[in-house]
Amino acid sequence: MQPQDSWKVVERADAGLDAAEGIAFVSDPGFGGIDVFIGKVRDLNQGRRVRGITYDLFEPLVLGEFERLVAETRAAFGPRIRLYVAHAKGRLAVGDVAVVVAAGAPHRDEAFRACRALIEAVKHRSPIWKQEHYEDGDSVWSEGCSLCHTDDQEALR
Amino acid sequence: MKQVTVQLFGAFSDLDPRREVTVEVAGPRIADLRLALRQLLAARWPGFGVELLDYSAFADTQQVLRDHEALPADGRVAILPPVSGG
Repeated sequence: MQPQDSWKVVERADAGLDAAEGIAFVSDPGFGGIDVFIGKVRDLNQGRRVRGITYDLFEPLVLGEFERLVAETRAAFGPRIRLYVAHAKGRLAVGDVAVVVAAGAPHRDEAFRACRALIEAVKHRSPIWKQEHYEDGDSVWSEGCSLCHTDDQEALR
Repeated sequence: MKQVTVQLFGAFSDLDPRREVTVEVAGPRIADLRLALRQLLAARWPGFGVELLDYSAFADTQQVLRDHEALPADGRVAILPPVSGG
């Protein structure tokens, strides 16, 4: 039996991400709704011309976190749902696909909401870091979401 | 003292080409590692913004480790600055 969900990391030097693969994976004869989020590298950020992005990942933990996030999304919007997550690793050029999230469900409402919930969780909770490379030669690690909990902050005091 | 190897990610990875540092930790918990790393960063990389440590978590290959939790038995930990995937 085909698994209901799929998650993976793809090294950019090996292959590009393929949204069609995600759509095919979440397709089912009983599903009338599919929603797909495709995140791409853009050429401008905060007024600076961007040439590319390097994604750094703690891969074993990323894969474990993807599994947890998919399970949480399934629990919230399933069980009649299929989910797909793929994230790129390494150096990407402008226009390259950085992330694909797809959700298939019997109706559009679950598909929309599950896809949105999953991409937001991937962005906020996965141990992935983005370094932007600018046309002037400078490179900067992007600011992001802290994974610290309240008890960590308490311990600092 | 326990020797802990810290894998460096994101902005921390610029500190060392091997992408890891070894630090002597006086206590048994993640909070003790955070303290030891703060002292190491200030001493070895004084130009680095050590405040990033305040917003960074630690983890093994399975899960994020909170400050009250024990250091992993194998002495290997990853430092996770604020994340920016997608």
